[in-house]
Amino acid sequence: MTVNGREVPAVADLARMRAERHAKLQEQLVARGLDGLVLLGTSAVAYATGAEAPGCDSSRAALLRTVAIVVTGASHPHLFTPYPEGAPPELPADHVHPGAVPDLDDGAAQLAEHVRQLLGPTARIGIDEVPHPLARALTGLELKPASAVLGVAKLHKTVDELACIRQAQHITEQAMLEVQPLLRRPGITQTDLTACFVHHIVGLGAEYVGIDPIWQVMPRTKAAGPWTVHGDLAFPTPSGPQPLHEGDVIWVDTGVHIGGYASDFGRTWIVGPDPTPTPRQQRQFERWLAVFHASLAACRPGVSTLEVARAAIAADERADGANEAKPWIEHFYLAHSVGTDSAEMPMIGTDLGDDFDAAQVLAPGMVLVFEPVIWDDGAAGYRSEDIVAITDDGTMTLSDHPYDPFVAA
Amino acid sequence: MTAMAIDPSAVDDEAVRRNRRTRLFAAMEAHDLDLLILGRPAEVAFATGARQLWTAGSRPFGPACVAVRATGHIHLLSVSDYDVPDEIGRDDLYGLWWNPANLARALAEIPGLATARRVGTSSSSPGFDRLVAAIAPDAQLVDGSRAVWEARQPKSMAEVERIVAAIAIAEAGLAAMEAALHPGATERELRAAHLTALAAAGAPTAPTEGVACATATTGPVTLRRIDVTTPIEAGQLVTLDPGAFHRGYEGGFARTRVAGAAPSTPQIDLAARSSVAIAAVIDACRPGARGADLVAAWQRTGEPLAPVPLATGVGLGTEPPIVDSTLGHDAVLAARTVLAISSWVSKEGVGGVLLRDLVLVDDDGPHVLTARHSHALERRG
Repeated sequence: MTVNGREVPAVADLARMRAERHAKLQEQLVARGLDGLVLLGTSAVAYATGAEAPGCDSSRAALLRTVAIVVTGASHPHLFTPYPEGAPPELPADHVHPGAVPDLDDGAAQLAEHVRQLLGPTARIGIDEVPHPLARALTGLELKPASAVLGVAKLHKTVDELACIRQAQHITEQAMLEVQPLLRRPGITQTDLTACFVHHIVGLGAEYVGIDPIWQVMPRTKAAGPWTVHGDLAFPTPSGPQPLHEGDVIWVDTGVHIGGYASDFGRTWIVGPDPTPTPRQQRQFERWLAVFHASLAACRPGVSTLEVARAAIAADERADGANEAKPWIEHFYLAHSVGTDSAEMPMIGTDLGDDFDAAQVLAPGMVLVFEPVIWDDGAAGYRSEDIVAITDDGTMTLSDHPYDPFVAA
Repeated sequence: MTAMAIDPSAVDDEAVRRNRRTRLFAAMEAHDLDLLILGRPAEVAFATGARQLWTAGSRPFGPACVAVRATGHIHLLSVSDYDVPDEIGRDDLYGLWWNPANLARALAEIPGLATARRVGTSSSSPGFDRLVAAIAPDAQLVDGSRAVWEARQPKSMAEVERIVAAIAIAEAGLAAMEAALHPGATERELRAAHLTALAAAGAPTAPTEGVACATATTGPVTLRRIDVTTPIEAGQLVTLDPGAFHRGYEGGFARTRVAGAAPSTPQIDLAARSSVAIAAVIDACRPGARGADLVAAWQRTGEPLAPVPLATGVGLGTEPPIVDSTLGHDAVLAARTVLAISSWVSKEGVGGVLLRDLVLVDDDGPHVLTARHSHALERRG
């Protein structure tokens, strides 16, 4: 299986990956007539520079930031970081600067000085966030959304990016094999499960935990769950030291990062010494599998994402024979991509609508995390996530984890 | 305090929430803001008290919550009312949209928007002005970040108690790292021990995963925050910088240990220098002092300024000021703010000693919240 004529390597070539991403950004900068990029967001900086940083709370990451300046036509990006040890080895020393603090006035003035020196005093730049101090300091420059450049570059993954995602997913799955047996002991808490997960995931080499693991106990009926703005399910809800009880249906969701790339693990588990699903629960799983397999069968280069969504809807035959409902959560999607962000484009089945999905055409290198949801009011429901990449002639899977305690018939 | 210690991830008490709302609306009034649009998780926590899913890294700026001065309501982007405090009514919630037009429609329904004159945002992005123009056509878009920081920075007694409770969780993180520290162990194992201890305490998220550094015994000494899997050698100075959250409030401190050996005389000398330097800076932490005064206090000890922020604000995570060799010199310390003061002193051939203490800047002087932990080097493993 190839992606744009190349095999996905067992281990990513990180230097090649960074060079190819830089080339893609440069191509988009020229195409959009921009003089450069100024990037403040953690995931955008990771994409543009390949710099590593420790996992940080959003409050710290938004004040003691990593920042990237990409100069159109230049061979390397500039990196501003409190963590110089995370700079890629090929980055010239004069391209690695102390951390920037663009959210405060003096820090913004310092960064703006670099921007003017590197890009010019009246440059037209793409930028992802403009804190007010930076907006004042960048007076005279023309600020455009960086998403136009980043979005196009990130849409199709290179083979090394796919290798990173597969690796991140693999270690997440390995750690989850250690966590799941704990559910046989009712009384264990959500955060006990997290303790086991983080212990193993760090040992397996995760750079950081991207999403505090979700171990949500699903109500039997929607009405018994939290009130929602749209009447659909409340998901995800944050974890705490709440004990789990025998028979609880748990929806698991988390992600960790490797090489900057996120994994996305989703499974449905059952609490108790004997977690064997009831026949009704087994039927939910089989519906889920039918939706997932039908979605997958529709995926190949040249197919619109609307066709994939329609295949998913058509495949979900409910017990009453009806099949018109969307088998995914109202505020989410049938599928989304994953990269340096845990959810990025392409997304299928969002409120962007059918026209958007129809115009979005699958191509080699795109990644889809399928997360159909089968809700069976009265008996909770089933949700899992599996990841595929679009190849030159179909799909390849990037996730590989059993559905225990559910077993395909 | 005991109840707090076992319930670190619960929605906070009504009195704490009410106090924060009062401060937020007072700051809006002082800055003549009709509307305040907040985007960062810590801002949402301050304004609403709602528990949110924790994700690592900075998030793109977007309208995560909207405070309306005319109505006194705070509106929250949340699909459900799970762990949303009662004072945020169901009518005050708006959903998650991927289509900006749908988001604008949802926001436009917020009472009081259409007549707003001055709309503050805590940050911005290209195109955000168009969204504001669509939902509040007569409004002027202004910097709301100063109002937010003014409201957030001075801490109530209850907020300081929560920081102290977070320090107690960080102590469990320190104990776990100390137990895991021995010659042959790795920094990565220490990180795993820290995160595991936080989760076991019911508070699994960390201010940073960069918590352990075995400092070099030969060549230049740097304080790394990205861990490696090189085995730690007997006699190495290892910095441990645990941190934790209690109901959103951050607590933590740094101490340095020697792996598998009694501290040597040069190591003890280095630790003494680090301790003297941090004490000098802490003593300068008084209301009205400027960042420059902290820098001057450090420099009077004769230590070179390190590439580590000397002081950062602490509360619902990291807050201003950020004081280092070039930044924050004009920042004025307000009464009842909490600062993390860091002291990094290193010497080639010996290693480095990191100390970090949390200090409440009070009217009668600095109160060290992390004083029960000696600065002295100790052997572990």
